[in-house]
Amino acid sequence: MPNLSFRGGDLQRWAPLLVLVALVVFFSMVNPNFFSLKNFARIGISATPPLMIAVGATFIIIMGSIDLSMEGAVAVCAVVFASIFMALGGTLGGWGWLALPACLLVGAACGLVTGAVHVGLRIPSFMASLSMGFVGIGLSLMMTGGDRIRVEDPLFRSLLTQRFLGFPLMVHVAFVVLLFAWFIQSKTTLGRNFYAVGGGEDLAHASGLNVRRVRIAGFALAGVFYAFGALFAVAQLGIAETATGYNFMFVSITSIVVGGTALWGGSGGVWNTLVGVLIVNVINNGMIVMGLPRYVQDGVLGLLVIIAVVLSTDRKSLAFVK
Amino acid sequence: MSFIKDFIEKETLSRRNFMLASAFGLTGAAAASIVGTGRAQAAGAIEDPTIAWSYRDRTNPYWNSIVSGGESFVESLGKPKSALVHLINEGSSEKSLADVKALLGKTDGKLALAIDTNDSPNARPVVEAVVAKGAYVSTIWNKTDDLHPWDFGDNYVSHMSWSDVGPAEQTATILFKAMNGKGSIVGLGGIASNNPAIERRKGLDNALKNFPDIKLLDYQAADWDTQKANSIMSSYLTRFGDEITGVFCANDTMAYGVLEALRAEGLAGQIPVVAYDGNAQAVDLVIAGELLATVYTNPHWGGGITAALAYYAATGAFKPSEEPHEHREFNGPTILISKADAEDFKKKYIDATPTYDWKDFWGPSNGPITY
Repeated sequence: MPNLSFRGGDLQRWAPLLVLVALVVFFSMVNPNFFSLKNFARIGISATPPLMIAVGATFIIIMGSIDLSMEGAVAVCAVVFASIFMALGGTLGGWGWLALPACLLVGAACGLVTGAVHVGLRIPSFMASLSMGFVGIGLSLMMTGGDRIRVEDPLFRSLLTQRFLGFPLMVHVAFVVLLFAWFIQSKTTLGRNFYAVGGGEDLAHASGLNVRRVRIAGFALAGVFYAFGALFAVAQLGIAETATGYNFMFVSITSIVVGGTALWGGSGGVWNTLVGVLIVNVINNGMIVMGLPRYVQDGVLGLLVIIAVVLSTDRKSLAFVK
Repeated sequence: MSFIKDFIEKETLSRRNFMLASAFGLTGAAAASIVGTGRAQAAGAIEDPTIAWSYRDRTNPYWNSIVSGGESFVESLGKPKSALVHLINEGSSEKSLADVKALLGKTDGKLALAIDTNDSPNARPVVEAVVAKGAYVSTIWNKTDDLHPWDFGDNYVSHMSWSDVGPAEQTATILFKAMNGKGSIVGLGGIASNNPAIERRKGLDNALKNFPDIKLLDYQAADWDTQKANSIMSSYLTRFGDEITGVFCANDTMAYGVLEALRAEGLAGQIPVVAYDGNAQAVDLVIAGELLATVYTNPHWGGGITAALAYYAATGAFKPSEEPHEHREFNGPTILISKADAEDFKKKYIDATPTYDWKDFWGPSNGPITY
């Protein structure tokens, strides 16, 4: 029955989106205020920084590796951006704009180092990236001495304060970056190599692919997206500090998995991640809109993650789960 | 099988004897140190003790000021900043205790320690470890109610805390008056089990009793975190919309998140917000009119004076056991900052860090701790 199995796979493919729609319908029924452009804009704002970070980490997870360095990388990017930005006049109108590309370069450099440590020293990506994350937190702490840098340039903050079609500019910019990520994923050799490595590294290697180089490039690319996340996080709160990076590890990895990208690599993609990030943020927003107490919220989030993973990943073909 | 029975009986007996003996040993040692005939070091004449501060984490502006106070005390002794040893517990009581023990070993008890033990139960093992080595310790914030410096002779020098109930009640009252005594507020609290989070919530509740026309719509823990406070505030706006006419935040860092959530909707400065801690940015926001009030607890002074107390007790400059109880357990200063006095406050405390006399141990303090 090829037809039926095709449909089964199709359902699995669309499961995250269905979960998202179901959640929106559910929360709207509980509190009609939920279903409003204003609230979607609010969800959009809180989803933007984690979306960028999760998109970066998606490439790593497609390769079958994992990257846990995002908190350190985001902290370093945010602090370096704010320091350069303030040193160059503190406004996008002047030379301050140079801080934007500098931030992206720093992100790429962070990722490059993580990737090099992972591949060069043959340390599992889990350990290498976790350690580099700690290094990043320490580095940003050293740069700021624990202080926070305030970025109040109205031009830069217009990412948050100016709206177009009801959504702040940062949401639109993030969408453009997401399209760019999709382009890399589906239209470039590098993007397809990620899938090749994640789907079967031995096979990819045997076909003449320089797996080590692909891995390092993947981490550097992820770093660029972490830098975007850092920029949006600073735009959102007007503050750059070590704590800018906090909380992103859990949110981004959860979102990726909930969106249907399997942790064992080779499947999923940036659109899955978009849906996953939206699911997590809709849940967070919806639970407060419903008025659930905090201790219930954590439990509900955990359960929903399990349900989403059950619905959206194909686990039948797995010989074992570790 | 009687030999087994014999063996067990013998073991129980010797165990009991051992416990009795050790219990006597402890109280005996404590009694001895109270009458001042303890170890030689208890007399307080350690020449040039190592000075250490043990705290959670430097990224938080509050702890950052605490430690900067410790550094400026060290500098007042003519030493470089780096002479202050930092023990960072990262929110772990186990790490806090282990670090203290390691440093006690390294310095062989020649140590003046200022510490927040991370949680209340951890204060006793820390103090006992310090006392056993003849070193000196001053604590802030966390200790259990049955643990008192005067029960340990000179070596447990002092404990400072801040009572947040009163000041939180004051900020809430300022908020309610700005709302003309009627309307609805939302609240954002700290980590639910933290003492200051509990006390500040209690202050809010007290103030609510005096204003029957003010309704508390919801109060959620945002864990002192700017980002979490930001997303909770935007969700509040969806849930309650225009109903919200005031916001109570249990600290400044959460208020920043709240203000940005309001700014995103073009509401900054339109809904009154009160906060707590008196960080530099919060004071600027009070001056700008975006924040209604905050409370300054002078962490810089608190961090410096706690280290100074331990240090001068260790060098023998003063003898803690000769001081009255209110000099051993006292409340830190609290200064309410609202629009009227924010400019003056900024000039005095933020633009120029006041130079403190680190030998004036109790000048700025705020009365004894009552239980």
